[in-house]
Amino acid sequence: MTDRDGIRRLGGVPARSDRLKDVVASAILVLAAVWVLFPFYWAAITSLKQPVDVFRLSFVPWVQFTPTLSNWRSELFYRGSAIFSGLGNSFLIGLGACLVAMALGTLAGYGLARFRYRGWRNRDISLYFLSQRFLPPAATILPFFYFAQRLDLLDTRIILIAANATFTMPFAVLLMRDAFQGIPIEMEEAARVDGASYLQILLRISLPLTAPTLVAAGIISFAFTWNEFVFAFVLSYSRAVPMSVLIAGTQDVMGVQFGYVSTRLLLAILPPAIVVLIVQRYIVTGLTLGAVKG
Amino acid sequence: MSTTLEGRGPEGDGAGGTSRRRGYQLRAWSFTAPGVVWVFAFTIFPLAHTLYLSLQSTGLGGNRFVGLRNFVRLWRDYRFWSALRLTLTFVTVSVVVTVVVGTVLALAVNRGVRGTRVFRTLSILPMFAAPIALGYLGLTIFYQQGGPINNVLAAVGLRPVPWLSDGRWALVSILAVDVWQWTPFVFLVVLAALQNVPAELLEAARLETSSSWPVLTRITFPLIRGPLGTVIILRIVEAFKVFDIPFTLTNGGPGLATRSLTYDVYTTGLRNQNFGYAASIAVVMLVLVMVVAIVFYRSYGSTYE
Amino acid sequence: MAKRCSTYAVLAGFLFVGTAGVSQAAASMDELEKSTADKAFAAAPKGKPNPAWKGQTFTIATLAAGPRGAISGPLYFWKPYFEKLTGATYRVVEIAFGDMQAKIETDFASSAGQYDAVVGGQFMMGDYVANDWIIPIDKYLNDPSYPKMDLDSIAPAYKALDRWGDHWYAFNNDHDGMILYYRRDLFNDKKWQDQFQAKYKYALPNPPKTWQQLLDVASFFNSVEWNGPGKEHQGISLHLKVGEQGFFDFLSIAAPYVVSAAPGGNPKKVTRYHNVFWFDPTDMKPLVNTAPFVKALETEIALYKAGSSAQLSWALGEAWNAFLGGQAAMCYSFGDVTPLAESAANSVIKGKVAASPTPGSTEVWDFQSKKWVKASGANLVGNVDGASWSGVISRKAKNPDLVAYFLAWQGTPEINHWNTTWGFTGINPGTKYDFFAPFGTAKVEDYVNAGYDRQDAIDYVNAYQKQDFEYPLQLPYLRIPGTPAYLESLDVHLSEALSGHVSAQEALNRIANDWDEITDRLGRDKQVKFYREAIGYTGG
Repeated sequence: MTDRDGIRRLGGVPARSDRLKDVVASAILVLAAVWVLFPFYWAAITSLKQPVDVFRLSFVPWVQFTPTLSNWRSELFYRGSAIFSGLGNSFLIGLGACLVAMALGTLAGYGLARFRYRGWRNRDISLYFLSQRFLPPAATILPFFYFAQRLDLLDTRIILIAANATFTMPFAVLLMRDAFQGIPIEMEEAARVDGASYLQILLRISLPLTAPTLVAAGIISFAFTWNEFVFAFVLSYSRAVPMSVLIAGTQDVMGVQFGYVSTRLLLAILPPAIVVLIVQRYIVTGLTLGAVKG
Repeated sequence: MSTTLEGRGPEGDGAGGTSRRRGYQLRAWSFTAPGVVWVFAFTIFPLAHTLYLSLQSTGLGGNRFVGLRNFVRLWRDYRFWSALRLTLTFVTVSVVVTVVVGTVLALAVNRGVRGTRVFRTLSILPMFAAPIALGYLGLTIFYQQGGPINNVLAAVGLRPVPWLSDGRWALVSILAVDVWQWTPFVFLVVLAALQNVPAELLEAARLETSSSWPVLTRITFPLIRGPLGTVIILRIVEAFKVFDIPFTLTNGGPGLATRSLTYDVYTTGLRNQNFGYAASIAVVMLVLVMVVAIVFYRSYGSTYE
Repeated sequence: MAKRCSTYAVLAGFLFVGTAGVSQAAASMDELEKSTADKAFAAAPKGKPNPAWKGQTFTIATLAAGPRGAISGPLYFWKPYFEKLTGATYRVVEIAFGDMQAKIETDFASSAGQYDAVVGGQFMMGDYVANDWIIPIDKYLNDPSYPKMDLDSIAPAYKALDRWGDHWYAFNNDHDGMILYYRRDLFNDKKWQDQFQAKYKYALPNPPKTWQQLLDVASFFNSVEWNGPGKEHQGISLHLKVGEQGFFDFLSIAAPYVVSAAPGGNPKKVTRYHNVFWFDPTDMKPLVNTAPFVKALETEIALYKAGSSAQLSWALGEAWNAFLGGQAAMCYSFGDVTPLAESAANSVIKGKVAASPTPGSTEVWDFQSKKWVKASGANLVGNVDGASWSGVISRKAKNPDLVAYFLAWQGTPEINHWNTTWGFTGINPGTKYDFFAPFGTAKVEDYVNAGYDRQDAIDYVNAYQKQDFEYPLQLPYLRIPGTPAYLESLDVHLSEALSGHVSAQEALNRIANDWDEITDRLGRDKQVKFYREAIGYTGG
């Protein structure tokens, strides 16, 4: 059975060893939470520091250093439009790449899970997709640049969506394939008997069953695109510049401006955080695994 | 028309004549073709161009065909070997640590103690933090004289660690950032896989034995073997291309201590404009990773048919 | 999640409340900035803008630092004035610092170049000229319809950078160079003077005139607790991180060991053995692994040890911070240190920052006889380390005249000098208009009004004036094709030597090897020709 959190709990009264394990698990979680949050906390206080304080030891504002809003002021007022556009670009590119990658990847993943190929074996096709992650970005960037230039697609979101969809498709393919393989075939066969087409089966039956993996793969695709740097900074000049490139812009001739790095890191993480929050709810309400198994 | 057993695995595609086989293949390919064609269009041309470049030498006034000379030079170049050694070390340590920690966390979360939902949401955040920004921020976190980490160390009586000015510690620093960022990736995937494990199976097993270790090793792990394998190979391939973090945290230094292969390709190609040589490094990288992948698939292959 | 939301809410609340108070203080500085800029604008030569330019626009690419950041700042700042002056405008495209070479080269090399002008580093000049990517600007210099820059007022070393061979290519803008900064209060303190005298048997040099002296002083301050018990007391702060321009320190140290005056009437004449630094001009053989360079590297390693071991991981920010935060007694770096020291947001040592031009050496290497020669006094060699960001016009610019007008206007004495006095611009002094009487026309009040401590400003400006105009010799600046590749090899191997990974000689040998490979790849004959043009070698 699954509880409100979508986390499965075993039934019955927990045994003593169970309780101990729960305590250990809790302790691990707390430590992990601190570890996860520390850099964000550090970014938050660094964004409030004067440059002279950045390297001085100071954990707690007001107690150990005088906080200042000048970094935030400068970012939001002077650079506000650039930042807003950077966030917008990151979002659109991420969404676009995620949709394309998930669409094509889920189809391919389903094919690899359910069919046996001739000529080119399943393993080869999987490897073919996986190999997209192998290519180092710096090697394909130049040809990509010439290609984009010839088609007048430089500094456009389209080209970045295309590039990122290519890079993140392997995640979609492999993860969805694993997920589809984990679903018992009986349901699909029953629907086949009823005369449903393969596409209908995919959309109506298999996909909902693999919702957690679908969302996870989507998040991963979005995340990788959100932080993609090399292609973004070579292919974009001013109109299509995403946040990852804006952050690199904080290193200027006088060195890294840590105040701005921190503000941009926090600003850059805000929209994905919101996306994740929304998506979380979907995972919780969308689970139908219990219905199938129970 | 009888139902064909079109399943996964080598059970076969059932009885049927050639016509069904052809129709079958057509249907099968209709699912994978879009992805395959897309990838072909966006990768084959760049790859071919890169291979072409690796056989050139870039000088003033254009490129000159030089055959395999770049590769010969690479073989004798201690900088290449240094980058290779570093990258392999980085990959090994990073993958082992992220997979172990991520799996442990997933197991802990799967117990369902209080606060797991909050933690699961929080844990997604590191993946969205821009590695570039993390690298820059890391400059203040790893600061030698009184940065937060060294401060905590001093508080417990240890000496300050030269995080960024010593070759070996610099490697630890970039590993720390990488592990921080990618453990959640392992965690997410393994957690999803754990949640696909049927509860009844686990309940039945617990009736048999009270200790959890055999349950873990004999039941849970085999069932999550597929996704776990996938996540391992993805981590290996990603770690192999590490660039953003050395780029901002250490600039590949001190000296060549944290200069990864991708960093080498970037500097040689886009900074020094030595495209031919950079392309040859990229080709070697590609070959190496393919070898790793093939070896991995040979041993893990059965789960992938 | 909830925790993050409430944090953001609190921050937002602060923003509204806090903005009011903060802007009060900034207001008067802003007014002063505006009024002095208006005056400069009124006084600057304007030539005669072409009325056909009204409504036109061009694209200028530069360093990404925002409207109040270095180098890009002035472009944003002066835009409204330019629009008023000509009716035309321009678009500023910002490029991340680490990406400048790649982006600019790709744009210039592509058929559909987007950049009409670039305010970039002078080290790219060789690539620009060799590939014929930029246009010469001679015709604009004496044309009365273009704002007149006072070319004779520019320090000779910077003038040389704006030219290549017989033509002018770049417009006067930034003037980079490295000087020595030190804590006036420590050097004037009798306690330390006495202790130094006792230990080293000569008086504490104020300022150190040679690198040998500097090493003594740095080692001394590194070993005494001048900062109070238990606090950091570093002798010197250097930015030695690989990939962060740390190699300029080495070049400045090596210069007085390597660069020697030519015999005869013209000590600045470039011969095979004199006033050369990088390569032998007859065959492009690297000089970098010869004896004086080894000595220089060993000196640098010793200097590194006279400061924090973390220097090896310090980029500009961290290294300046060590000095500005009061932890290091000295700092050797670019012209940003004193301007930063004068703002409370960046430093705690305002009023204590002295500056002096680059130290020299007591002995120089003679390349002909392959021996050390004692210098009379100290062999002083100036430098233009850095990028000296200046504007060049792309061959593909659609309206080069308009672009030239803008860049010339920015290079006029009034506007350029205004840029140097206001720190946010990142423009450093380098013309007679920036230096004080009797040599130049600048007034100390210019700096004091901009917030500088009086003595700090005097020391700072005079240090650059001496280095730019009074030093007999200069370190040749490398700007041949492939400069980024040469410098990268230098940078990486220096870092190896500093980290102890290899010996000094071995590191320099590796550099020499790399350089030979680069030269051969690019074409040795072509490189010889470009190198000679770049340094002004005509034989002998």
